[in-house]
Formats: sequence, C-alpha cells, structure tokens
Amino acid sequence: MYVKAAADKKGNLVPLMRKWVLILISLTFVGVFILVPLAAVFFEALKKGIELYFLSLTEPDAWSAIKLTLTIAAISVPLNTLFGVIAAWGIAKFEFKGKNILITLIDIPFAVSPVIAGLVFVLLFGSQGLLGPFLEAHNVKIIFAIPGIVLATIFVTFPFVVRELLPIMEEQGTEEEQAALTLGAGGWQIFWRVTLPNIKWGLLYGVILCNARAMGEFGAVSVVSGHIRGLTNTLPLHVEILYNEYNFTAAFASASLLALLALFTLLLKSIVEWKSIKKRH
Amino acid sequence: MSISINSVSKAFGLYPAVNNVSLTIPKGDFAALLGPSGSGKTTLLRLIAGLENPNQGRILFNGIDYTDKSVKERKVGFVFQQYALFKHMTIFENVAFGLKVRPRKSRPSKQQIHEKVFELLKLVQLENTAARYPAQLSGGQRQRIALARALAVEPEVLLLDEPFGALDAKVRQELRLWLRELHQKLNITTVFVTHDQEEALEMADTIVVMNHGQIEQIGSPEKVYNDPANSFVYSFLGRVNEFRGDSIPQELRLNEETAGYIRPHEIVLSRTALDTSSPSEVIHVHTVGSAVRVELKRLDTDDILEAELSTEKYRQIGPLIKGEMLYADFSRMVIFDDDRPNQAKVSNKIVTAL
Ligand SMILES: Nc1ncnc2c1ncn2[C@@H]1O[C@H](COP(=O)(O)OP(=O)(O)OP(=O)(O)O)[C@@H](O)[C@H]1O
Ligand SMILES: [Mg+2]
Repeated sequence: MYVKAAADKKGNLVPLMRKWVLILISLTFVGVFILVPLAAVFFEALKKGIELYFLSLTEPDAWSAIKLTLTIAAISVPLNTLFGVIAAWGIAKFEFKGKNILITLIDIPFAVSPVIAGLVFVLLFGSQGLLGPFLEAHNVKIIFAIPGIVLATIFVTFPFVVRELLPIMEEQGTEEEQAALTLGAGGWQIFWRVTLPNIKWGLLYGVILCNARAMGEFGAVSVVSGHIRGLTNTLPLHVEILYNEYNFTAAFASASLLALLALFTLLLKSIVEWKSIKKRH
Repeated sequence: MSISINSVSKAFGLYPAVNNVSLTIPKGDFAALLGPSGSGKTTLLRLIAGLENPNQGRILFNGIDYTDKSVKERKVGFVFQQYALFKHMTIFENVAFGLKVRPRKSRPSKQQIHEKVFELLKLVQLENTAARYPAQLSGGQRQRIALARALAVEPEVLLLDEPFGALDAKVRQELRLWLRELHQKLNITTVFVTHDQEEALEMADTIVVMNHGQIEQIGSPEKVYNDPANSFVYSFLGRVNEFRGDSIPQELRLNEETAGYIRPHEIVLSRTALDTSSPSEVIHVHTVGSAVRVELKRLDTDDILEAELSTEKYRQIGPLIKGEMLYADFSRMVIFDDDRPNQAKVSNKIVTAL
C-alpha cells in the first residue's frame, strides 16, 4: 500500500512539474521574442512624447507612405479577393486536366522568396528587362513606380484567399448549387445566395490575412519601388529609411502603425474564427 | 407532362454510364428506376433533369425536344439523395427559394410567397419547423422539406434520387405510403430511383429495371415480377435459388451453362415423397413476419437452398427441426435463354399441391 501510494505521488508530481516547465518555457519564449519587442516598438515611438509621435506620422513623407500603403492594399486586396474566389470556384467545382498543376502554381508566391518575386518583375518590366524597351516607347512606367509595387504585392499575396477557400469549397461540393439550378436560379443568383453565404467566413479570413500581408510586404516591394520619398515609399520601406538615418523616434512611430495593424488583424481573425466555429455547431 | 427518352447515351470518359436507353413515361405516371449500384440510375435521372448532357439521343417532354434546353427551362423538381438543403437558410427560406429567384415580373409578392410556403409546409406536415435550420431536423424531416422545396416551383415532373435511401426502415415505410398518397393528390409525373426492389414493387406504377447502363425490362410491378424478361430481372426482383448442371431437370437444360431459378415460396415441401420431389435435409428454420423460411440441403445434388412457407402451411406440415428429412418439389423452376429474351421456360411437370 505504502509503496503504491508513493509511486502514485511520484507519478503525479512529475507530469505536474513537466507541465509547468513547459508552460514557463513557452511563456518566456513568447515574452522575449514577441511581447518585449512589441512593447519596445511602442515604447520607442512614444519615448519623446505623444506630440512628436503624431508629428512624425503627419510629416509629409510619412503621410504619403501611409497613403501609398493604403492605396496599394485598396487595389491589390479586392483584385486578389475576386481572383481568389474565381480560382477557388474553378478548381473546387469543376473537373479538368492540369488541376493539380494549377494548385501547385498558386503556391509559388508562398514558396519563393519575395525578393526573387520583385526581381522577376524588374527583369520583365525594368528598362533592361524583356518588355522594358516596349514600355519605354509607350511611356509606361512600371518599375520604380506605383504599378510595379501593385504587381509585386498582388503576386506575393495571391495565395491567401484561394488557399483559404479551396478546402471549404471542395468540402461543400456542388449539390447545393445544383439544387438552386433546378429551382430556377441563374448563375449570379446561385453565387450570391448559395455559394457566397457558404464561404463567407473563410473568405473574410483570407481577405484579412491578404490585407495584412499587402500592407506589411517588404522584400518584393523594396526591389521594385526604388525608394523614392513621397512617391514610391510604402510604410515598411519608410520605416527602413528612417531607421537607416538614425531617426529612431519617427521610425518607431511608423513601425507602431504596422504593429497596430497586426494586432487589429489578429483581433479580427479571432472574431472570424470564433464566428465560423460557432456557425458550424 | 410525359417524358420520352430516345436512344440516350452518356459516358464518363470511356465508361458508358447510360448506354442507348429508350423509355417513355406517360403523364401522371409514378415510375421507379430500379437497379444495382452503378447501373446508371442517377445518371439517367440527371439526364432527364438536364444536370448532365447526353452524348447521344434525344429527350422529349410532351413530345417537344428538350435535349438542348437548360435545367432552368425544364422546370423539373429534383430531390437529391443527400437532400442538398441550403444549410445557411431557414426551412422557410429553403422552401421559398424557388419563388424568390424568379424574375421580378413573375415573382409572387411577399404575402403570396409566405402563403405558398406555409401551404407546402402543411402538405409535408412540418409547419412548425419554418424558423429552424436544416441541421436541426431529422433525416425524414429533411427529406420532406427537400420535397416541399422542389414542389414550390410547381414542377410538371418530379425526380427523386433514392428518396428514402438514408432513412431507417420504419420512417422509410411511413414515407413510402405518404409519397404515394401525395402523388395521388398532385398527380405530377414522378420518377424515383431506388435499388430496393420491395420499394419499387410497392410504390411504382411502372418499373424500369436497369443494369450496366441499359434497361433490362419496363413494365408494371406484376409484369416484371411474374413475367421477367431475363435472368437478371428475375434474380433482382426477389429472393431466388439458383441451380446449375445436374440440379436442373433434363428437359430444361439448354447447355452446360444453363442456370435454373426458383423462388423460395415456389418450392413445395411435403413429408411424403412424390415422383418429382427430391429428399432434402432441414438445416435451419426461422420465422419472418407471416412467413417461415426453411434452409435445406438437397440430398441428391448437395445444393443448399431456401424455401418459404406461409405460417398457415407451416402449421399444416408441422414443426420442422434441424436434421429432419423432407421432400422438396422444384417443378416450378424456370430457365432463361438470354439469347432470346422474354422466353422464360417453365418446367412443364404438374405442380402437386399439398
Ligand atoms: N461524374 C462522374 N464521373 C465519372 N463517373 C461517373 C460520374 N457519375 C457517375 N459515374 C459512373 O457512372 C456509373 C453509373 O453511375 P450512377 O451514379 O448513375 O449509378 P447509380 O445506378 O445511381 O448507382 P447508386 O445506386 O450507387 O447510386 C458508375 O459506374 C459511376 O462510377
Ligand atoms: Mg445513384
């Protein structure tokens, strides 16, 4: 009896300790690598007072970077949403040859380094590039201009919506759509009334992630933008420039905006996740 | 609306799911497409609805060619095997869907839609579920809502894919009767798919027996049951004992491959030997409802077979126990010459009644 009880005690104690050790390690890790830096961003940004903070955000170059970032997102997110829905619809609801190849191609932006993505566009549209002479002759500027940034952003953020929708659409199959068809609904009616409501949470989730990446993208945009202040500087690029100029307060003020965006994205993401889980039960 | 299917074929890749099928279903008929899994029943139903396009052949409604018309133009009601209710809509919205998607000119008013939906919910006896979601209904209730939804658009043809496939035996039985009554009330030309021969025999006016994408026989339940066109129809429509070689009376045998068939209830059992009967040993006896099934071993050929008696007959013959000897008469055995269909040969010996 006694021996058994001791063994039991031991058996209980070890897992309990293990549990706390594991939790402690995780907490330390999250603290050191995520919470402390995040706090540091806001601390540095606000160190010299709230006035300077707002001043560095409303200063013309910063303001133009904010506007450009919003513009880029406003163009690329809707396009990728539309394109993502169409691609996911096509892949999930129809059978065709080369389907698997298409799915693999969609993943390329995830697999390839963003810098390379940017370089590809420079090689295509830059003045030394494949289409460079043609574009120059027609006075179209893509590289070191806004169109290049939009293209690079679309490329990098393309998979988010499709990847989110594909499994949902595949799981749902086409029976509800066929039922709608036999009840006399047309193509648009079927999309708005049957397909979209069934994918809306997944779609929203994809759009949120797509947006976060579109606003935060650095590598690909850095290659194609040319870093022209007040013209082709997005918020992440602006942060880098300020930092390189030792203008820490301004750099961290801009960075804090991106950090806020991240926090806001996470919040939205949790709400959407919570809603879609609730719907399923 | 009458439906004519003229030499219709549909292949998936190289596989012919429906192969040169011709069939006419008169107006107001209640027809069953009966066949084993993979025989092309669903495909044929989807061809009628326009959910699949035939590779060849024509489909006519009321004598008018509808082959190239869209699903929408065909105005058929279709009930899917898994119901396919709209998960995110309430039952009311599900039933109202077909009315709400009509073009503005022919769309009923809100009030009219409301009335129509409740009229249909009443018809399927589920008025109190209007505010619920499909996930909150039982299988049988979902089935009836799917039917109400299909009826909302006032189709002239109703197509049902295994309407009771996913339900338990009791609910199934209830819904069979209910659907039959509903058909009598509404008199819509109805085609339903089933692989359950009992269901087809019990419900349908016309049975279309399918196998390997082709039609084996079309006819009334009595016709296909009592006068099957070939061995497939015979075997598919009821319990059957199959014999080969020496177990078949000499005068019936066409060649080595000939198979003889007899249904369990056609085997006549007696305790005394008749000149045509074979001695058999009782292996197992069990009662199923109003019938008694007796498993036997034929001692002259070693075949294992099943005979069926009414409880009344069983009482006359007396209780049977395992190992007991009986005499079984196979005079009503039939063979099919599948090269010359529709020619079942029946053994011409006199059937001795007990
Ligand atoms: N979309 C499709 N693509 C490829 N093959 C198909 C498709 N639909 C059906 N088939 C094939 O066609 C044949 C007939 O299918 P169908 O669904 O019509 O059979 P069924 O008689 O309804 O069978 P069940 O009783 O199992 O539902 C099957 O062999 C099936 O594998
Ligand atoms: Mg089927």
